[in-house]
Amino acid sequence: MEQAYEIAGAAASTTKKEIIIDIRDLKKTYRVGSVNVHALSGINFSLNRGEICCVVGRSGSGKSTLLNLMAGLEGPTSGEIVIARQHVEKMNQSELILFRQQHVGFIFQSFNLMPYYTALENVAFPLVFRGMSKRKRMKLAREMLCSVGLETHLKHKPTQMSGGQQQRVGIARALVTNPEIVFADEPTGNLDSKTSDEVMNLICDIARTQNKTLVMVTHDPNMAAFTDKAVHLLDGQVVKIDENTREI
Amino acid sequence: MSIKDMLSIAAMNLRRRKLRTFLTVLGMAIGTASIVVMVSLGIGMQEVTKEIFEGYGSLTLINVYNYSYQDPSQTSNSMVWSSGSEVTLDAKKVDEFKRIPGVQAVMPLVQVYGYLKSGQYVSGIQIMGVDAASAEQFGFVLDQGRLPNTSTGSNYELTLGNYVLYNFYNPKTYRQAVDNEGNPRVSLDKSRFQLTFDHRNIYEYEDYGGESTPKGKMYKVNVVGALSQEGGMNAYYTLMDINALNRLYRENKDNMYGLETGKYQEVWVKCESTDDVVAVQEKINSMGYAAYSVQEGLQTQQEMQRQTQMLLGAIGGVALLVAAIGIMNTMMMSIYERTKEIGIIKVLGCRMGNIAGLFLTESAFIGLIGGAVGLGVSYALSYVLNTQIMETAGIRSIIPLYLSLGAVVFSMGVALISGMYPAFRAMRLSALTAIRAE
Ligand SMILES: Nc1ncnc2c1ncn2[C@@H]1O[C@H](COP(=O)(O)OP(=O)(O)OP(=O)(O)O)[C@@H](O)[C@H]1O
Ligand SMILES: [Mg+2]
Repeated sequence: MEQAYEIAGAAASTTKKEIIIDIRDLKKTYRVGSVNVHALSGINFSLNRGEICCVVGRSGSGKSTLLNLMAGLEGPTSGEIVIARQHVEKMNQSELILFRQQHVGFIFQSFNLMPYYTALENVAFPLVFRGMSKRKRMKLAREMLCSVGLETHLKHKPTQMSGGQQQRVGIARALVTNPEIVFADEPTGNLDSKTSDEVMNLICDIARTQNKTLVMVTHDPNMAAFTDKAVHLLDGQVVKIDENTREI
Repeated sequence: MSIKDMLSIAAMNLRRRKLRTFLTVLGMAIGTASIVVMVSLGIGMQEVTKEIFEGYGSLTLINVYNYSYQDPSQTSNSMVWSSGSEVTLDAKKVDEFKRIPGVQAVMPLVQVYGYLKSGQYVSGIQIMGVDAASAEQFGFVLDQGRLPNTSTGSNYELTLGNYVLYNFYNPKTYRQAVDNEGNPRVSLDKSRFQLTFDHRNIYEYEDYGGESTPKGKMYKVNVVGALSQEGGMNAYYTLMDINALNRLYRENKDNMYGLETGKYQEVWVKCESTDDVVAVQEKINSMGYAAYSVQEGLQTQQEMQRQTQMLLGAIGGVALLVAAIGIMNTMMMSIYERTKEIGIIKVLGCRMGNIAGLFLTESAFIGLIGGAVGLGVSYALSYVLNTQIMETAGIRSIIPLYLSLGAVVFSMGVALISGMYPAFRAMRLSALTAIRAE
């Protein structure tokens, strides 16, 4: 009860903010043959709960690497990643999976829906791993699909939907588990510019209304306009952080 | 993740690749069927052998003879009979045998040849003097009437051997005592019977002129029953209480050969179960007697057949091994195919154990279905073999319940083992490289 009040309070006031993601001196070096590739060389930044942040930069600047490290999909070379007060870099595989179950939703560039499942089943899928009963998860999935505007496409398979519709299913799937943080790697990268804007609006809308923290990678600088914070990367380093005031 | 979801996802993944699943299941079915049919032939072989030996007599019976048994330490397995040295079988020994653990009943017996007369007809009979009190437990199967009671007074009760009624003949004409339809003219209820041990009462020889002994007596006897041929070897003998026979012996010492008062020619020992037989028999042998049991012969025979059985099983096993490799191959293939999918479900929060569980469940399904189908095929094959092909060949295919249950469990187990490595590989796939895979 008290906690819920605190979270609501944090979202309401701009003075009292809770840091949910804290990145300290994060480095990632790949070794290719005998050459060391410094994908990330000392990243520092933090995000507050409920903030929408985008990571922008040229191709090869390390955006995807940063996101993958934050989501625990691979381990850093050095540095700390503190998410929801937990040190992601210290977790083992099983702990990471549990952590993702509890805190993280993921939106992929290439949608990555299960081709043999309908939209509804795809959205309900992550709930299977949480041991939820079929009735309950179908109900949640239906609600989620309605809120992304796909109530007419519940029974469609991914191949029977447009790119934009597929990504909406992807968004619904990322949010159905009610995660605190959503990661998205170029969620509009496979869409044309008009659909892109629609999808981007949708993601940001939902994130705002549900008070989710959203971290999104994009190489389209225009997208920065949708967000609270824009982290600019170049050659594995933060060159600039833009703070937008919300334009509600 | 609930077991129900795990099962339904595994089933769906198998359905998605129908042809490949079908082929893998087919392999498993052939493997299971081949091993089941092979083993069933082995079991059939043992069963046939057992029936043959059962025909020789009861499997729980040990026959002890009054011969000694040559030094058991030197001739550990093969029995060497030494006709020269006789050992005594008497009431004391019978009691000793009774005390051996695993023994259910002990019956002493003697045998003597006599003549049974009924009106103008006569039949030679092999009389077995048995302890009437325990005879019942030794598997004499009656065709009619009852077994002789323990003798109390001067009346003599006989239970005829199965053949006896048919064997009556006229000693003067040597005509058999059967009517036109082949039925015996002598019958239990209508005829009267007399017993003698002196052949001079039957055949009228010329007097050789030597010193003549008085003729043996004729005894009036009550025939109380007849044995059925179902009793196997036992049906051959005519039974009489051993005490009654001993009494006759006292009056017919000159005509009854091989008997001695208070001593037995043979003792029958019945064990509680076939498992006890060999131990009891060894014990009796160590007491210096020659003991023989059908069970021992059966076990030796079955021991030899076990090798053949193993060979049959191994031949079936090869097919199952090939099928197991097939499962492993199928599962590995599907991991390569589903690399990306595995990565996605890992990112979506599927636990490591659940991923391994999904793949193991798929393997187990293949094993279960393959095993069940294979079992069905085995029953069909077994039926065809038994009815069409081998009925006359003396070979049989028998699938007992434990074999059918065991086969399904075994094929599931084999499938699980084959699925273990692929499942482990799937579990260890890095989520990131999996997602990157195209
Ligand atoms: N697994 C890897 N092994 C070696 N080098 C890698 C690996 N992954 C990324 N890199 C390198 O790290 C650097 C950053 O890559 P990253 O994928 O983060 O770039 P990006 O900003 O996402 O680019 P894009 O906008 O094209 O997706 C690149 O130079 C890349 O070559
Ligand atoms: Mg990238």
